[in-house]
Amino acid sequence: MTSTEVYLENTVLGPKAGGLYRHQNFATGLISGVVLGFVGWVIGQELLQGSNWGSDMTVTVTCVGWVLGFLLGMGAFNAVGRWILGRDEDHEDQLYGAGVGQGWTRYFKFCTDHKVVGIQYLVLVMTLFGAGGAMAMMIRTQLLSPHMNWLSPQSYNALVSIHGMVMIIATIIMVSGPFANFIMPIMIGAKDMAFPRLNALSFWTVVAAVPPILGSFFVGGVDSGWTTYAPLSVQSFPGQDMFAITICTFVVSVTVAGINTLVTVITMRAKGMTMGRLPIFVWGSIIAGGLGLYAMPAFLMAQSALITDRVVGTSMYAPAQGGAGWLYENCFWIMGHPEVYVILLPAAGALIEIASTFSRKPVFSYKAMVGAMLGIAGLAIMVWAHHMFTTGWAPTLANPFMLTTELISIPTGVLFLCMVGTIWRGNIWARLPMYFLYLFLWNFIIGGVTGIYLSDVPADQYFHGNMFVTAHFHFTLLGGAMIGAAGAVCYWFPKVSGRMLNERVGKWAFWLIAIGIQVTYYGQFLEGFEGMPRRVVNYNPLFQPANVMSTMGAYTLMAGWLILLYAIIHSWRNGVVAGPNPWHAKSLEWQTETPVPLENFLVDPVVTRDPYGYGEEAPDATQLTPEPVGAANVLLGNEEGVL
Amino acid sequence: MSSEHHEEEEFHADKREQIAEQVEPFFEGGPIWKRPFFGVFIIWVVMTVIGVLIGLFVPVHVLDGSSSSQQDSVKLTIIVFTIVAAPVSGIVYGIAAYSLFKWNKRGSGKLDTPPEDGPALRGHGPATVIWLSVSIVLVVFLLFWGMMVLSSEGTPEGNAIRMQVVGQQWVWTFHYGSTDITSTQLVLPINRQVEFEVSSKDVTHGFWPVQLGVQVDANPGFTTTIAASPNKLGKFDVRCSQLCGLEHAYMQTTGRVVTEKQFVHWLAQKGASKQAIMNFTTDAK
Amino acid sequence: MSTTEISEAGQHEGGGHHESPRERHKKEHMALWLFIGGDAVFFALEIFFWFYLRTLNVNGMWLGSACSKLNPCTDGLGNPITSPIAKASGIYTLAIAGLIIVSALFIWQAEIQARSGAHRKATTPLLGLAVLFCLAAIGLQIYQFQVLPFTTIDGAYASLFEFFMGSNLAHFLLVLVVATGLFNRSRIGKLEHSNWYQAHLGRLWAVWVAASATVLALIATFLA
Repeated sequence: MTSTEVYLENTVLGPKAGGLYRHQNFATGLISGVVLGFVGWVIGQELLQGSNWGSDMTVTVTCVGWVLGFLLGMGAFNAVGRWILGRDEDHEDQLYGAGVGQGWTRYFKFCTDHKVVGIQYLVLVMTLFGAGGAMAMMIRTQLLSPHMNWLSPQSYNALVSIHGMVMIIATIIMVSGPFANFIMPIMIGAKDMAFPRLNALSFWTVVAAVPPILGSFFVGGVDSGWTTYAPLSVQSFPGQDMFAITICTFVVSVTVAGINTLVTVITMRAKGMTMGRLPIFVWGSIIAGGLGLYAMPAFLMAQSALITDRVVGTSMYAPAQGGAGWLYENCFWIMGHPEVYVILLPAAGALIEIASTFSRKPVFSYKAMVGAMLGIAGLAIMVWAHHMFTTGWAPTLANPFMLTTELISIPTGVLFLCMVGTIWRGNIWARLPMYFLYLFLWNFIIGGVTGIYLSDVPADQYFHGNMFVTAHFHFTLLGGAMIGAAGAVCYWFPKVSGRMLNERVGKWAFWLIAIGIQVTYYGQFLEGFEGMPRRVVNYNPLFQPANVMSTMGAYTLMAGWLILLYAIIHSWRNGVVAGPNPWHAKSLEWQTETPVPLENFLVDPVVTRDPYGYGEEAPDATQLTPEPVGAANVLLGNEEGVL
Repeated sequence: MSSEHHEEEEFHADKREQIAEQVEPFFEGGPIWKRPFFGVFIIWVVMTVIGVLIGLFVPVHVLDGSSSSQQDSVKLTIIVFTIVAAPVSGIVYGIAAYSLFKWNKRGSGKLDTPPEDGPALRGHGPATVIWLSVSIVLVVFLLFWGMMVLSSEGTPEGNAIRMQVVGQQWVWTFHYGSTDITSTQLVLPINRQVEFEVSSKDVTHGFWPVQLGVQVDANPGFTTTIAASPNKLGKFDVRCSQLCGLEHAYMQTTGRVVTEKQFVHWLAQKGASKQAIMNFTTDAK
Repeated sequence: MSTTEISEAGQHEGGGHHESPRERHKKEHMALWLFIGGDAVFFALEIFFWFYLRTLNVNGMWLGSACSKLNPCTDGLGNPITSPIAKASGIYTLAIAGLIIVSALFIWQAEIQARSGAHRKATTPLLGLAVLFCLAAIGLQIYQFQVLPFTTIDGAYASLFEFFMGSNLAHFLLVLVVATGLFNRSRIGKLEHSNWYQAHLGRLWAVWVAASATVLALIATFLA
């Protein structure tokens, strides 16, 4: 038996441990969400439905009912109620909340163990990518032929818009959800996140946020893109209200998660883990968390004003009554640009860990790397209007925003320097995670360079709103950040699942993905050069060859992702059992057992160096004290044989 | 405590010396084709050449024509940026690829064991400084390029004609200034700057006369302006570049660039008086 | 040590997160400031929205009315009416701000008492008053909706004014939750000793809400 199993067995929970919570789970959440949603529907229809309000009020109140009901049913607010009533949790309640003694069912409950939350996020992310990916396949299939009649304009616009938003949600949480939750606390030597209940809240809030946006298909969909520019979005079908509720709900999740990450890293590092010894992945996570905290309120503002415009007739965005579409656009992009760095930075951090581990070398210029991430984040909040070069808003600001945007290429360049500098002269161990690092380097150069084209104001007058933009951001978000996430999954797979990922199958997936990305998005660059606009259900026959190329690439890409998914699921269940440190890496997460014990370490670790000491000391030396004492020997399996 | 610290410092300094002796120097050492510098250089040259060739030939072939000086300028920008990007990408790919070729250790035959540790190089001051400096130079170049093009486009010309464009779900309407001609057709005289005053009646549209190399959004409640100088006779496409609802994909038309004479004739055909046409076409700003 | 010994040692250590109240306080304090930071971004954007639309006065409809340049009405003689709407009375707006300020101040006083080791008999009434004043602020804010001389469809000023009111309600509700919890916990004696910090956190939130609501109230009243 592993020590974890012994530990769990030795723990006896009292008969009432968990209280009300012991009856609450995903099923009660669903039921409660549906019930309260129905109540909301009734309230919206009967009580609030004046002659002026139309059905937007009903839809909105229904969705609010769903979200609140679901979270109530999950037990997310139990702690608040207990606090108000003065009935604090005791030790057994907390153990129960952490999932002790519940086996696999704890994955379907409001579980506070960060490792459970991490895995829940991983499954959610894969589900969201599946949904968004299916929508993408439908879009690309429709675009095979210039006058294809398979999808109506309404369906197409809805697919494009919802695909975009679902993917944005998925990419924001794809690294920070699973890995800043599961791995990061272990990496800094902590027992859990600073606020375990908020951690569970941040996960289940995303789950609550997803049905409205998917449900919007049934009420006409969304026809204003994922960016939902006003005033079009003010006039759209009721699906737009559901979309807006999804955003407002999702914003809560990201805010809470960002706060949790920041407080955890600042206050819960193990003894000896100075900020200068933090793994780069942790830096990426906290910088992204801080950026998200700045950006998400802007999203909330933009969308809540949209809701009031639609539901109660305010006119923030309606020019006829004193509003302005530009106001929405500014508010949206104040969020929208930092947000893509919230997506990118954790992925880049994970890739640097991979670079170091699989080159057996320290990170090149740790300080420059951290400085680059900080520089990117700082500039990210000053560039938003490069999305608005052609809106006609403030032409005098074109030059300043062009300046700040082009300046971002400097810290981004340093990021590249550190990545290739880490690889340079390393003893490269070409395992699967390393493949993804190389693909990132290739893709992100293309994505970054094409961003330069867009940042040039005169050139942007050709490229804005055409498929070139789409290709650019898919190269950076999919080819860059998502590839980083794939690398992270492959890298930490042995720690999270306890098994080794089947690399033979993984490599098949990798090559299909790599080739798929190139073909799909070179096709879209071609479409953009040729002058094809974005978000069009049919197009000029001139663009057909490029579209066919892009669609063929998309099917290849889909095949690649599906094979990777298969590899993940198959290896999780049947893969070769992994030891605690198959990569012989030096950071803390690899120095604890697999499966990871409830509080991560059996003995509190004491850190004496950063995790990049390759070539500087004995090969098996780690971030811990050079002479593991007593219990720590057991930790590494020395006394009982190598694990 | 401090003596321990001192010992540690010495330990690291010794280590650094050892490392410096271990690694192959970048520039010197042995025959030229064996030096790391050379390997990277070859890959860099190849990637740069490919990139430059792409820059010189691909955009010109795939860009769907140019009918104005603005679009000519855009074409040039694309070519120049691609050419400049080529060596930049080349160096990154070169370093990464060379590392893979040269130092890929197959873990002593078994993929399960890692190779031994590489040299503990934690950074390289000169490399970082050079990298940063080159980035800054490139950014300054890009900035100047963009600002120069932008400022040259902004200058209004004396004999520019001014017309209004109205976007409405899902059709473009053009109003020819003081002639009071309104039409869904866009006809422009060659070699004269035209200033478009663009607005919308409902939602935000994107007025995009593709081959004229300019675009600006049509916003309800506001008027935005963009100027273009058509320099080639023939047809050009007008598309909508901002998602505007159900039939966004179909919100397009074909514009024509014609001679001055044909332009006047067309206006007359549409019903404008001779006086109005004269005012419109000779209206000096 | 054998595995079993380790696990027992771990069991003794772990399970619930054994951190001192001081560590707990530090984390919650930091988290609250970060949250306030996020709320401050939202607050700044509300102000940005106000001044953006006020400055642009799109279609002259900042203080729009049902009659405007786009929808002209005429009086009996055929003359166009373009009168703007009446602005909201500052009395209610400022009174609401005053009420929430008082509520926050009661929480503050309760915190000071709790910190200096006062018995629950001192802190509980203060917190009870804080709850009452917060309820009054919420009640008056809801009432203000009914006495406004305009509705949400009457132009940008009216829209933003009502948006500010909605924002107030949301923030005041959170103060109410905090104040109620503090009141009840004080009543049963759970605010004593090191638990004063919970009142401290409540105070920080309430003061932030009061300050931001006051700024919005001043802008809405004097910069309409």
